[in-house]
Amino acid sequence: MPRDADELLDLLDLETIDDNLFRGSQQPSNLVRVFGGQVAAQALVAADRTVDDSYVVHSLHSYFLQPGDTKARIVYDVERLRDGRSFATRRVLARQHGRPIFALTADFHRPEPGRDHQDLMPEVPAPEDCIDPQALIRGRDGEFNEWDAVDFRYIGSSHDLLPPDPERPGRQRFWLKVAGQLPDGPPLLHTAAFTWLSDMTVMGAALAPHGLRLGGPHTLVASLDHTVWFHHPLRADEWLLYDQVSPVASGARGLVTARVFSRDGVLVASVAQEALLRPLDAPSEDSGEDA
Amino acid sequence: MTEVAGPLSGQDAVDELVGLLDLETIDVDLFRGQTLDTGRSRVYGGHVAAQALVAGVRTVDPGFHVHSLHSYFLLAGDPKLPIVYDVERIRDGRSFATRRVAARQHGKPIYYLTASFQREEAGFDHQDAMPPAAAPEDGLDFIALMKSRGNTEADQLGREWAALDGRWVGNSKHGLPVDDARPSRAQMWLRVAGRLSDDPLEHTAAFTYASDISLLGASLAAHPIPAHQAQMASLDHTIWFHRPFRADEWWLYDQWSPSASGARGLSLGRVFSRDGVLVATVAQEGLIRPPRGYELP
Repeated sequence: MPRDADELLDLLDLETIDDNLFRGSQQPSNLVRVFGGQVAAQALVAADRTVDDSYVVHSLHSYFLQPGDTKARIVYDVERLRDGRSFATRRVLARQHGRPIFALTADFHRPEPGRDHQDLMPEVPAPEDCIDPQALIRGRDGEFNEWDAVDFRYIGSSHDLLPPDPERPGRQRFWLKVAGQLPDGPPLLHTAAFTWLSDMTVMGAALAPHGLRLGGPHTLVASLDHTVWFHHPLRADEWLLYDQVSPVASGARGLVTARVFSRDGVLVASVAQEALLRPLDAPSEDSGEDA
Repeated sequence: MTEVAGPLSGQDAVDELVGLLDLETIDVDLFRGQTLDTGRSRVYGGHVAAQALVAGVRTVDPGFHVHSLHSYFLLAGDPKLPIVYDVERIRDGRSFATRRVAARQHGKPIYYLTASFQREEAGFDHQDAMPPAAAPEDGLDFIALMKSRGNTEADQLGREWAALDGRWVGNSKHGLPVDDARPSRAQMWLRVAGRLSDDPLEHTAAFTYASDISLLGASLAAHPIPAHQAQMASLDHTIWFHRPFRADEWWLYDQWSPSASGARGLSLGRVFSRDGVLVATVAQEGLIRPPRGYELP
């Protein structure tokens, strides 16, 4: 995983192999599989490379197919689905060792005016007043941390610090941003960097009602899909409120929908993710190899 | 070429829908679905989504059940022609299978759907509580409501959706309590207007068919524009299926639009069975262009 904003920039800069064919680099990582946000962000960059600059990405829908190998570079193969007057659509298959590991479809829109509304940003404590969970980790061993290029501040979940809401048992809130500074543009850089961030912490909201945390020993968590709708331009290196709700878990799957607010209250993006949440204490005939 | 469909209602319309959702097999992983010409200029999006899902299901082992679909609408479908569904097998794992379906007409893709299927397993369970809502018996018939609001397509839509029973409960402008934190909301009840068989696929497909109704309207609930006067088109359509349920019994479509900007609105819908079980979640982004001549603030 990148250790700072510069290494993140390297990760988001793909090598062009041929028309519509790209390759993404890897950073050293001890994760057992490639971080999903990295594959999603690189795939988005690949799609954007094939689209005229006057179109701006407004949504991406993706499925994780196989765990990515952190030691091998990833090939991104772009298929042009549509080039319309207002919209352009691309599908990207991410491959390693000849096998698809991830499939993403993204849609691009030529900016146009319309009517606006948005949900109000909830009242939350400032990032300066929240816990830095990484400081706790670093305090323990001080060694290389996979998440050094990110700043997190934990606001709380429905299991601990958030006010109780029996209507919505699965909730979690974080502040997060890229640690350090990114260049001002192009806008896709921030969109892609946010896509990278957006796969972090999400599933905690689905575990909260069960008194569990991400990274705990009792649950296998594997993202199944990942969706982002981009509503307004954003900066990934300034604090973003990640307001997550898990409306449901059932059948070893949990769904989280999330709203992303800039610090001044603009709803800049919405995210949805479903993940496999497999209790590890229960007997299982499946090793999780193909989760 | 098809002829413009004649009047139909009740169980006959439901049987017609069941027939439309039963595809003809052309070859391995290649299917064809009939359209219904009601005089509208394009195929209803839920029709394409439901047929594409059925095409995907046909290529998956019956031990796997669909748990999600993500799709993009690319071109308006032609209601005078059948639609070809071409299935690509993306993954066949032990626990999950994934399919991509391209819907084509006139040799061009009009719609792409990716769906994921899971072998049944047990795990954690929780859900949002069902929000308060007026009973379906107290709601307004959705087609009658369209007519009363002067929607010139109401008769055609009434024919298109003859297999469905929809009762409008309210939105942020009328009927629902004001909520400044979530300014754009809507609720309606829906069900298939007759009996389906006990085959779960009939229910999943019929629900998918119905799920494209009204959802985009939630993005307009915060704005003083009648839905039929805006130029609206679904851009994407996503469903997560959480639990099995019957599409021929009432379900509450609790809709909310967190954001509209740049001529696009995002709507999310939670689907509850009448006894309060959260059975599905739906997301849709749509293009919402104000009526011609309308001054933006």
